[in-house]
Amino acid sequence: MKRRMILVMCAVLVLAAGFGLAAKTYKIAFMPGIADPFYFTMEKGAKAMAAKLGADKVELIVGQYPATWGPDAQVPFLDALMARGDIDLLFTAPTSTQALIPVLKKYFDKGIPIITVDTYLGDGDYTKTSDYSFPLSYIGTDNKLGGEVVAAQLAVLLGGKGKVFLENTNPDTSSVMDRERGFRQGLLGFPQMELVGVEYCLDVQETAQAQVAAALQRNPDLAGVFGVNVFSAQGAHAAVAAAGLSGVVKVGTWDATATLIEALKVGEVDFILAQKPAEMGSLCVDWGYRYLASGKTLSVPKKVVPGFFVFTRDNVNSPDAQQYIYSK
Amino acid sequence: MNPRFRSVFIRVMRRWVLIFLGFEVLAFSLLGTNFFSLDTLQNILVSSTIVLLLAVGETFVIITGGIDLSVGFMVGFTGVVCAKIMVTLQAAGTTQAMAIAAGIAAALLVGLLPGFINGFLVAHLKVPPFIATFGMYGIAYGCAEIICNNVPIHDLPSAVGPIGHGFLFFWLPGKMFRVFVEPTGLSSVDFQHLITIIPNLSALALVFVLVFGFILAKTRFGRHTYAIGGNIDAAERAGIDVKRHLVKVYMISSFFASLAGVCYVLRYITGRAPAGSAQVLDAVVAVVIGGASLYGGKGSVSGTFVGAMVLTTLVLGLANLALPTYYAYIAVGCILIFAVLIDQFSPELVHKED
Repeated sequence: MKRRMILVMCAVLVLAAGFGLAAKTYKIAFMPGIADPFYFTMEKGAKAMAAKLGADKVELIVGQYPATWGPDAQVPFLDALMARGDIDLLFTAPTSTQALIPVLKKYFDKGIPIITVDTYLGDGDYTKTSDYSFPLSYIGTDNKLGGEVVAAQLAVLLGGKGKVFLENTNPDTSSVMDRERGFRQGLLGFPQMELVGVEYCLDVQETAQAQVAAALQRNPDLAGVFGVNVFSAQGAHAAVAAAGLSGVVKVGTWDATATLIEALKVGEVDFILAQKPAEMGSLCVDWGYRYLASGKTLSVPKKVVPGFFVFTRDNVNSPDAQQYIYSK
Repeated sequence: MNPRFRSVFIRVMRRWVLIFLGFEVLAFSLLGTNFFSLDTLQNILVSSTIVLLLAVGETFVIITGGIDLSVGFMVGFTGVVCAKIMVTLQAAGTTQAMAIAAGIAAALLVGLLPGFINGFLVAHLKVPPFIATFGMYGIAYGCAEIICNNVPIHDLPSAVGPIGHGFLFFWLPGKMFRVFVEPTGLSSVDFQHLITIIPNLSALALVFVLVFGFILAKTRFGRHTYAIGGNIDAAERAGIDVKRHLVKVYMISSFFASLAGVCYVLRYITGRAPAGSAQVLDAVVAVVIGGASLYGGKGSVSGTFVGAMVLTTLVLGLANLALPTYYAYIAVGCILIFAVLIDQFSPELVHKED
């Protein structure tokens, strides 16, 4: 009697496990960094991939978009998202290289794999053992390379000489600091170009505009500006346009928002480095799903790097380029 | 109205905030995903830390008939001081424990000064509280930006995170129970079943909330606070040193703001000048919906606690439903106006008829 009971229970367990595996819909959560077109576009890409894989395979759950950039805005929403208790995998853009380590580690310890997208923890090298090397992967732009490309592009526009200014945003965020490092590195190749200043706007566009306006006043012979993300770039553009210096001061920008694309078309911005947020979102869902479906055995590359696209006035209207414009 | 029904009605309405909180929890539990859980409860507690601390300090000030607007940027100011000292000492080669302790102590000490100045301006120089503390609001922000040189302070000692995100108790049912020290070397299965109870920051906040709740409700200091808010002239005639008392009250408020600043640093592992500025309004709202009157003389720490929970539950509940936060702003605005209307038109509903 007892033995038969055990047999029946084993059979039920095996069946249940079989059904469980076959019918499992994985819940993949996305926690964005800030409410802006870059992350809206990333969500769109992630949604498209989830739909492609099938609603019975993946359910994408998107956290609350923080209104400002920083751990104080992001962490409560992240905790609220994870308190649901039914998340199988999380991909998120940590808003600080340091402050998000204990938060994400807590969920990793509970058995939830983490992918960092667009920004990373620590120095982003998850291959060597450290207190921040637990994420499955970093999926995002090679920001340093992008910074070098911007420096080179500005140099071409300026004939390799002149004073340039860098409008940055959050100094504790990996992505934008890599852009600054790349930009500085790139400028080294042009000894007649001089970086006259760097300011940080903390993702507040009005601050960026005021900082660039001040830089224009301090340096009447300023030849170029680089705005490193949505807010810095839009602020830099607004300052140069308001000063009536469009075309005189070259404006290199990063992140292809509709605002910047329009500005490029009318000649107020000179080029835009567009990341591929939709592809990042899509890659996160794709790798995340395949990892979960493999029973967490699949080896995921520690770094996945989608490329970028440089908009200039020559290609901004080409049909091919339109896919790289960010949209909600 | 039937007098018996009326007395029941009044008794129920007097607790409308508590009923509203219960309604919130019920609604989000039914509509949301796994909202009614230990994790969510603790998340609400720890997320409310800053608003709660600001609101408890603010309760004292509002009961005296004043208001302290400086507390918002005081969080940023003391947070920046705290973080800066930690980073500087760490760079100078002291131990992490030393750097962290010194940062916290310095923030709490420095935080008393703006409170003293606020109190002095209000009590001795008769500057309206609104203006005095609004001025301090700007000064605290400016000083914070100067100290942190306009950028958030980062690269704090690595022990800060584990403190700010730690818990008092770790419980693995049937296997182990630990206090304060997070167990290491657990298998991944054990880790998933580890139950963490009471976030450190909530414990810290609750200790101070309880102590000062007691002071307000049960001590002479508390009675004097109510007396000043009820009728300042009468309080003076009754022999209360009103000026001295007001200075102390504003120092209590700024002390709580400094505690909030320290909690900010421990949880977010950074010092930012604008930290907390968004929480001033929430703090005042928590105090008012907790039953305090902006005209002074009424209010309690327990009411303020419920008020802070109402706000945080609302924000995190909406997040659980994945609804945008701006609904929370509308809801908070409505609740605030409702609370003031109740206070205005039927004070007997909110406060005991004595």
